Amino acid sequence: MASIEFKNVTKQFDKTVVIKDLDLKIEDGSFTVLVGPSGCGKTTLLRMIAGIGPQTSGEVLVGDQDVTDIEPGKRGVAMVFQNYAIYPTMTVRDNIEFGLKNQKIPKEERERRVKEACEKVGMTEYLDRKPGTLSGGQRQRIALARAIVKNPSVFLMDEPLSNLDAKLRVQMRVELIELHKKLKTTFVYVTHDQVEAMSMADTIVLMNQGKIQQMASPSVMYKDPDNLFTARFIGSPAMNVKAFEDGSCFGFRPEAAIMSKEKEDGWFKMQGTIAAREMLGSETLYTIRNEQQDTFVVKSGDDSHGVDETVWIHVPREKIYIFGKDEMRIRQQDDGYETYMGKVGAM
Amino acid sequence: MEKGRKNKKSRHIMRILKPYLLIAPAILGIMLFTVYPAIKMVFWSFYDVNQLNPAKTKFVGMKNYVKIFHSTDFVKSLKNTGIYTLWTVVFIMLCAVVLAIWLGRKKDKFSKFTQAAMFLPHIISMISVGLIFAQMMGVNNGLLNEILVAVGLERCQWTQSSSTALMSVILVAVWKAIGYYTVIIMGSLQSIPDSIYEAAALDDASKLTTLRKITIPLISPQLFFTLIIMTIGSFKVFETIRVMTAGGPNNSTNSLVYYVYQQVFTKYDIGRAAAGGTVLFIIVGILTILYFALLSKKVHYQ
Repeated sequence: MASIEFKNVTKQFDKTVVIKDLDLKIEDGSFTVLVGPSGCGKTTLLRMIAGIGPQTSGEVLVGDQDVTDIEPGKRGVAMVFQNYAIYPTMTVRDNIEFGLKNQKIPKEERERRVKEACEKVGMTEYLDRKPGTLSGGQRQRIALARAIVKNPSVFLMDEPLSNLDAKLRVQMRVELIELHKKLKTTFVYVTHDQVEAMSMADTIVLMNQGKIQQMASPSVMYKDPDNLFTARFIGSPAMNVKAFEDGSCFGFRPEAAIMSKEKEDGWFKMQGTIAAREMLGSETLYTIRNEQQDTFVVKSGDDSHGVDETVWIHVPREKIYIFGKDEMRIRQQDDGYETYMGKVGAM
Repeated sequence: MEKGRKNKKSRHIMRILKPYLLIAPAILGIMLFTVYPAIKMVFWSFYDVNQLNPAKTKFVGMKNYVKIFHSTDFVKSLKNTGIYTLWTVVFIMLCAVVLAIWLGRKKDKFSKFTQAAMFLPHIISMISVGLIFAQMMGVNNGLLNEILVAVGLERCQWTQSSSTALMSVILVAVWKAIGYYTVIIMGSLQSIPDSIYEAAALDDASKLTTLRKITIPLISPQLFFTLIIMTIGSFKVFETIRVMTAGGPNNSTNSLVYYVYQQVFTKYDIGRAAAGGTVLFIIVGILTILYFALLSKKVHYQ
C-alpha cells in the first residue's frame, strides 16, 4: 500500500516538452483513473511511476520515498500493459512466476502465491498452457495474475481493456472493481475512454496537453466541471455549447434538455428542426438545428419524434453552465454569472 | 442436356488441373536442374564412367565409395570440411548475435553506418573477396603481415602453411558472412515489442536473465534458420579454396566440393566425383533432418 506523489515533474522527449511542472498526489488505496485524449501525457505519467520512462526533472514519490534512482523491478509496483506483454515463449505458470524467481523467492512460497493469484483471476486450469493458445481475455487475466502475484503496493494499468471486445470489456470492468476491493491497494488506471473512467474510478484525473484539467470524483466531474474541457470530455454525448458574442459561452447536457412540440416553460428556449435521430433503446438522441445553424443534441426517453419535425427545446436554469473567455467555469457566486444567465434567458 | 453435362464435366476436370498447370513451370525447372542432376549423380556413383568412350562405361557397384573412403585425399577433405563448418558456424553465430544485440539497441548514425559497412561484404562476389584476401595475406608484402610487423608481432604464414591455411579460409568466410547474419538477427530482435522488455524490467529481471529467458527464446526461429542455412552453406565451400589455396598446401584446405571438382576436371574420374558428391548430399540431408528433429522441440514459433 502506498500513495504516489509527483512533485514539480517535467518530461521531455528530445526537445518536445510533454509535461511541465506537474504536481499530483494519488491517495493510498484509491482507484485513480488518468483519462484524457491521446497525447495528453497520461501514459507518460504512468510510465514515470513504473520507472520505464523516467521524468526529465522533478520527483516521483511512491509511499513517501523518492523512487527516481530506484530500478523498475525494485519499486514495489506492478503494471498491466495494453498489449498484455506476456512472454510468448513461457507457459502461463512461468509468466506469472518470472518476477518471483528473479526476486529469489523460495519454491514453496512461489507455488503458493502463483496458485493464489491464479485463483483470483480464474486461470488455474490453464497454468501449463502456452499463451499462444489462449484468447485475448485469458491473456489479460494472465497479465493481471502476473501483477497480483508480486503483492505490489501500486497497480499500474495502461489501457488494459482496449484490446478486448465490448462485452468482455464490460465484464472485466466489474472484475477489476472487485479486484480493487479485494486487494485494497492503490490502482492507477490509464484510459482514453471517459465511460471507463466514470464507471471504475473513485478519483478521476482528467488531463489535456500535459496539464491536469480537473481532479475529482466521477460525480463531481459530471455535475460540477471546473472548465469547458472537462464539461465537454465527461459525459456522452458531449455537452452542448453555444458561444456569446464576447467569446464566453454557456452549455447544457443533452440529458438536461426537455423536448416538446409546443413552447413550454424553461430558462433557455429554442425552436429548431430535427436533423438526425439515433434510437439507442431506452433513449433516443436527437440532433436539432435552428435557423442560425446552431446544433444541439438532446437525449430523450421519448422516441415519438421524427426527422424534419419542428420542436422546442427547454433547459431549466439550474442545468445551465457558464464558461468565461478563458474557458474556466463561472459559478453562481462568481462575478458576471447573473449577467450571462440573463443573456441566456433573453435568447 | 448431353452437352451441358459434358461441359460441367470438363469444367470439373479443369478445376482439378488448374493448380497443377500453374505450378508446372516451377516444377519443371526443379525437375530439370535439381532433381534430375541429383539422381544422375547418384546413378553415376555406381559406375566407372568413361567420357571418351561411353560404351566402356560399366557398373561397378560400391567400388567408387570403397575407393574414396580408402583415399587419404577424400578423408582429409571430409575432415577439413567438418572443421571448417564447425568453426565458421560457431564464429558467425556468436559474433552475429553479440553484434546484433549491440547494434540493434542503438539508433544513432554510427550504428547505422556500422550496419551498412558490415553488410557490404555480402554483396561482393566470393571470388573477388578470395582474391583480395589472398593478396592481403601475402607473406612478404601482404597488408595483414605489414600490420602484424608494425605492431611488433611475427609474420604469419597465412595460406602458405598447412597449419594456418584452413584458419585463413575460415577467417575470410566469417568476414564475408557476418554482416548478413547480423542483419537477419537484428531484424528479429527489432520485432520484439518494447513492452516485453519493460515487463521484464518490472519483473526485476537482470540483463543476463532477460537475454537468456526472453530475447534468445524469442529469436530462436531465426537462430534456427541461420544455423541450418549456414551449416549447409559451409559444407559446400568452394570459391575461396579455389582462389586462395587450391586445396593446398599439402591438402590442408581441400574440401568436399573442391575434391569433387578435382576429380572431374583434373583427374577426369566422374565415378569418384559422383560418389563424393553423393556423400555430401547424404551428410547435408542427415544434418537437416537432425536439426529439425532435435531443435524444433526447443524452438518457439509465434
